[in-house]
Amino acid sequence: MSSKNLGKWLLIVLPLAAAGLLLWPTINYSLLSSERAELEADTSRTGREALVRWDVDNKEAYESARAGRMKLGLDLRGGAYLTLEVDVLKLIESSADAESIDDDFRAIIEETRKATANSDVDVLTVFLEKFRARGKQLINYFPAAELTEQAVEEKLRRDASGSVDQAMEVLSQRINKYGVSEVSIQKQGSRRLVIELPDEKDTVQMRELLQQTARLEFKRVLMDRSLVRAFYAIDGAYKAYKSGVAPVVDTAKPATDTATTAAADTTKKADTAKTAAADTGKNAKDPYKGLSDDEKGRRIKADFPFSYMLFGSVAANEQSQPQQFDLVGLKINGVTPDQLPEKGLYQFRIPAQSLQEFLKILAIPQVRAAIPAELDVLVSANGNATKPGVQPDYYDVYGVAREADLMGDVIEDAYPSFDNSNQPVVMMNMNTEGSDQWARITGANIGNRIAVVMDDRVWSAPTVQGKIPNGSSQISGSFRTEDAMRLAVVLKAGALKAPVQIIEERVVGPSLGEDSIRRGLTSTGISFALIILFMMAYYAVGGAIADVALLMNILLTVAGLAAFGGTLTLPGIAGLILSTAMAVDANILIFERMREEIYAGKSLKTAVDQGFARAWSAILDSNLTNIAGAVPLIIWGSGPIKGFAITLLVGAIITLFTAVVVTRAIFQLLIASGATTLNIGQKRTA
Amino acid sequence: MDLIKKTNIDFVTNRNFFLRLSILASVIGMLVVLAPEIPGLGIPRLIEPGIDFTGGTQTTVSFANTATSAEQVRGALAKAGYSSAEIKSFGKDGDFLIRINDVQDEASKVSADLVTKLNTAFSKNGEKAVILLGADNVGAKVSAELAADAAISLIIATIIILLYVAFRFEFVYGLSAVIALAHDVTVAFVISVLVNKLGILNLELSINSLAAYLTILGYSINDKVVVFDRIRENRERHRGMPLAELVNLSLNETLSRTLITGVSVLGALLVMVFLGGDVLEGFAFTMFVGIVVGTYSSIYVASSFLIWYTERVKHKSVGSVVHTEA
Repeated sequence: MSSKNLGKWLLIVLPLAAAGLLLWPTINYSLLSSERAELEADTSRTGREALVRWDVDNKEAYESARAGRMKLGLDLRGGAYLTLEVDVLKLIESSADAESIDDDFRAIIEETRKATANSDVDVLTVFLEKFRARGKQLINYFPAAELTEQAVEEKLRRDASGSVDQAMEVLSQRINKYGVSEVSIQKQGSRRLVIELPDEKDTVQMRELLQQTARLEFKRVLMDRSLVRAFYAIDGAYKAYKSGVAPVVDTAKPATDTATTAAADTTKKADTAKTAAADTGKNAKDPYKGLSDDEKGRRIKADFPFSYMLFGSVAANEQSQPQQFDLVGLKINGVTPDQLPEKGLYQFRIPAQSLQEFLKILAIPQVRAAIPAELDVLVSANGNATKPGVQPDYYDVYGVAREADLMGDVIEDAYPSFDNSNQPVVMMNMNTEGSDQWARITGANIGNRIAVVMDDRVWSAPTVQGKIPNGSSQISGSFRTEDAMRLAVVLKAGALKAPVQIIEERVVGPSLGEDSIRRGLTSTGISFALIILFMMAYYAVGGAIADVALLMNILLTVAGLAAFGGTLTLPGIAGLILSTAMAVDANILIFERMREEIYAGKSLKTAVDQGFARAWSAILDSNLTNIAGAVPLIIWGSGPIKGFAITLLVGAIITLFTAVVVTRAIFQLLIASGATTLNIGQKRTA
Repeated sequence: MDLIKKTNIDFVTNRNFFLRLSILASVIGMLVVLAPEIPGLGIPRLIEPGIDFTGGTQTTVSFANTATSAEQVRGALAKAGYSSAEIKSFGKDGDFLIRINDVQDEASKVSADLVTKLNTAFSKNGEKAVILLGADNVGAKVSAELAADAAISLIIATIIILLYVAFRFEFVYGLSAVIALAHDVTVAFVISVLVNKLGILNLELSINSLAAYLTILGYSINDKVVVFDRIRENRERHRGMPLAELVNLSLNETLSRTLITGVSVLGALLVMVFLGGDVLEGFAFTMFVGIVVGTYSSIYVASSFLIWYTERVKHKSVGSVVHTEA
């Protein structure tokens, strides 16, 4: 094989390899999904254990395949799609001083509403223009810390741009909290959010989530050894709830715990209860001694359905090394909560994969009843990573006061900033009423922690350094700049109520989605098969060569889309049909030219060369015309039009490569291997 | 296989007749389709823009009992307080499309509510009588934006196509191509509206169906460029040949390619029309019509206009008033 031919082989093989590589996540994702679906369908028989183990083992592979896969649009797989818009005008209106609002102000608001009703222009800019056109001053209408036009405008701008982020944070948290899987939330433009849900049934729930206003509260953190007792109480209550018996509230004598719960279990699990009781008799210290690891794990889960998920640590003070412990271990070694240090910094963590189960148990009313009345058990809003550089893999568990000390609506402003040593901090200002209460609360809790809680998730739990007299607080901690920004966004959720409206909603039911995907795929498959057969019948060997290029074209186009993170939708399929038609056309143009040359008595080599040379200008011009037409559609078109144009653009570029470069390489390889005649379906010439 | 022999068909003699006919047909078709409702004569409005462009809510449902009639559905909905709902059957028996245009806010609640109400009305012994196939709720602002985006991007794309073809060939080629494209889209649009009105297929004008028209544009411009390319080549080869003859020669020489490409693409689309299901069939139908029209217009609209315009301009510049037969 000469080096010239090697180049041609590479021309064919390399793009295919690249396409395979780009499409691998898509293929892998569908393999993994079906594997998981099988396990999930099996859970009734084998329990959830296999599924949980699978999730742990395959988490990374699954996540990376999911991230790199070719996504299918709503119209092809079912689901729901919502576009939300933040009503910036309402936000402006509600930030103004209620007493200062006059007819002029209302008129300006009304004018701005009309001017911005049907376009995506920046509402605040339009408002400010109209405001200034009337010679008005912002400081006469809007309260601000610093009374300059500049400062007020900046604050309004910050609020307006922040309101989308805020809606996004609030919604993300709620969505995660309710375990709605695979939801994507994205910002679109300056004041819109696009939410995609894989399951249409979630839209009802989603609407509820959207309509609630965020509940932001400050609660005292109550983290001491009594929390350990509460966790055991939750175990007991949950076991009782599962076995359908009235809850057995854990008493102050934890030593009898195993026996009590074992008794409670008897109704359903008489056998295990008996052996458990026998075990306890044999060895008071370790009831699981002598059992196989699997059996031991299963039994611990049955006996401590809640606390086995938790990992605790306690340190004497901030400087000393924390001591790790796990709650089951304490029980086995006969350590009661009362034997734990009275003073100390307690911390509890829960692995990310146990979070759903954890929240599910805590949501059960009977379980909640077992938690002491003044206490609430909450989880951090965001996951943390055990090591830097890995995915967040655990959440912090907090004990906080059930009663809120202060509600978030007293917050006037919150923004990220930097302290003297250039560490990211969050600044927070409160109104007069809030400041008075805040001074009292911080004064009474110096050295203690106060949690910032939104919708029952802890966003931050800073330690109070001193009494804060004027409501102007600085929250510092070991956070990164983006953490500070997020916290500021959440704190403002208490201050701003930028209403969010659903302006577009599209739902495709699963039956339509499934049906359309099946029929769409089948008919598309048949269509392509038809073209491939037709080409082979009409152009014989030439047709077969064109078919190779055509398959390569489709593969590369889809791979190209996957690489760009594109989504395959119905209009995308239209683009694919058009670019395939153009690829077929390119080869037809070439073959018709070749036949003309062959009929004119030219040699195969000349015919091939001339065929490509003469057809080239038509192929190039028609594809370039389409590329030129696709570009404005990508720039100015919205969703579906854009989807069409992107597929067309990618497809047309690839057509120029496959239909011309690749087919030519194959022809030349055939000629190099000694072919002097080739059947491209021409009439037999004498 | 070689089905199409070397041809010498006369495409150009009657060109002005075909050109006039095509332009007349598209203008009249467009007027008929866009005409407002004439209640006195019982003539309904033919065009039905989907909610993508009007705003409102559209819910598609499927009844377990396929014998359910549109009248029954209308009755149940009127009772449930949705008397302004338009009901249209589509796809399989028992599938209906319910549209309400005048929903103010909370449009998104309507679909869920409709399904619940219909289930209550039609359910016997608590079985599920109606399932939701899909719902679209589009706010007025979004629909205005979608329409504006579609119009702007289409206009700019057309101008760029015109400029590109004018740059690669001559200005008159770009102009001929764009006129032919306008003709293709218009005719495909008129036919789609009529077929939709007859209720054979659901071809409502939506943002998705725009992609079908864009495909027609793309295919049609491809077809025209191929013919123009041949004219460009033949002009070099046969210097001094009158334009009409040159065009006719080029049309004949590319005819084999035109038909082979057309047939293979149309065959593929036909499969989708019959097997593609609710989602693809309408799409494929519009494309099918457009590709037939586009192929026709390469010959009888783009080429005819090219000759007419060139000759008119040439005559003017020479100052001749003598009418020459091509």
